[in-house]
Order: sequence, then C-alpha cells, then structure tokens
Amino acid sequence: MLNQIAFYLFGSISIICGLGVVSASNPIYVVLWLLGALIAISGIFFSAGAELLGALQLMVYVVAIAVFYILIITAVPWRKLHKNEQHNRLIGVTVLPFIALLYVEAFIVGISGVSITKNKIIETITKNYGNAEVIGIKLFSTYFWAFELMSVLLLISMIGAILLGRKEEKTYD
Amino acid sequence: MIETIASKLLVQNVSQYFILSFILLGIGLFGMMVRKNLITILMSLELALNSVNIAFVGIDRLNHLIDGEIFALFTIALAAAEAAVGLGIILSLFRLRKAENVNEIIDLKG
Repeated sequence: MLNQIAFYLFGSISIICGLGVVSASNPIYVVLWLLGALIAISGIFFSAGAELLGALQLMVYVVAIAVFYILIITAVPWRKLHKNEQHNRLIGVTVLPFIALLYVEAFIVGISGVSITKNKIIETITKNYGNAEVIGIKLFSTYFWAFELMSVLLLISMIGAILLGRKEEKTYD
Repeated sequence: MIETIASKLLVQNVSQYFILSFILLGIGLFGMMVRKNLITILMSLELALNSVNIAFVGIDRLNHLIDGEIFALFTIALAAAEAAVGLGIILSLFRLRKAENVNEIIDLKG
C-alpha cells in the first residue's frame, strides 16, 4: 500500500518533469526539469524494490551526467541560445499523430495479452540475501561476458570523447 | 464504492509500470523531434532511455526475476557512454562550425 502511494507520487512527479523537459525554453531550466525527472524515476526504482538500481541511478545519472550537461551548457554562448526559437512547431504538429499511433499500438498489444511464467527461486534468494547480492551473483556469473564488453565500451567512448574534444589545428569554414 | 475503487487502485499492479514507461517514452520521443537545440535533444534522449529502465524493473516485479535490473544497469552504462560521445560531438561541432541548432547543420543536404 505504501509502495503504491509512493509509485503514484513519483510517477506523477516524473511525468510533470518530463513535460517540463520538452516544453521549457531556457536550457538551464531544461537541465533542472531533467534532474527532477531522474530523481523521481530513482524513487520509482526504490518503491519497486530495486534498491541497487535506484542508488546507481542517483549516483550515475543525477550526479555525473547532469553535471556533465551543465558543464557543456557553459561552453555554448548564452546570447545565441536565448535569441533563437527553441521548438520546431511544424515538426511537432506533424509528429503528434504518430506518437498517438504508438500509444494505440501499445494498447492493442497490452489488451491482447502476453503471458510469462513466474519464477519463485529468485524471490526466495532475494528475501534471504537482499537485492544487491543477487544482482552481483547474476552479473558476475551469467552476464560476466556482457559486463566485460560494457567496460570495454566505456573505455572506447572515453577515448573517443577525448579525441573529439581536443583542439583542432584548422577549422573547415 | 469509493473504498472498492481505492482498494483496486492500491493493489500492486504490474501494468502501471508499463503505462508510466510508455508515457515517458512518448514524451522523450516527442522532445527529440520537436527540439532544435542539440543539447536538449540529448536530454530528451536520456528521458526516453530512463523510461525503458522503468519497464525493465516492472517486468522484474511481474516475473520475479533479476535479469531486467541487470539490463537496466547496462542501459545506464550505455547512457553514460552515449552522453560522453554525443556531447563531445556537439562541442566540436560548435567549435568548428559555430552551430548548435539542428537546422544549421545542412552540409549533407544535396
């Protein structure tokens, strides 16, 4: 019951902040709305019982990535951002029926029904040991190869970001 | 009457996670289309990626599994890599071309 109230609270906060991300014109306000949405989504994870995922969401998204976006916004000149129109209204009106079509499609799939067999083993392990232990055991046994590939991907993206961010000798204009 | 509605609403239901996930995914997709600034397009992309994580956690609650949360962890790592590379590209685009809107980058238009 308490979980349910927390879900409705955080879900409504995340939807309101998502609408703010789309509609706000000043990029600093967009970062702030995004921050609110990410914190509300981590609250949803906590209320659903995924404690490790919620904590990692707070650490990685809310702290690291949002600060990174604010740093990039400081690198772009402020006058030009304010002068321009921030939304492409024609594309917005054109795209809206297709978003509605996506919802209709999801509704049809939802009422036609998808059946999944339940697994009771993981539930008992979670009750005995907790969420983080189970994720650690699965991550370092079943998904170990994917985990290593993900670390290599992070290394490659770090090297790519350094290469892209270095100072060029000449511009192409 | 009100009590039955309230009890129905307060039952732990799994499809609510999917509904919330789809609403946020639609908002993120719409933001990716309608925005002009490159940085805010990436922010809408982050919102859409997060909505997929909500669906993963919801299907874990339905299925009593833990694999969805592991995939959500992978999604978070992927979003970090994507933010680093995407913002590096935006920064170098701005420095080389003085462009930070999508309608200023039209060199591939024939």
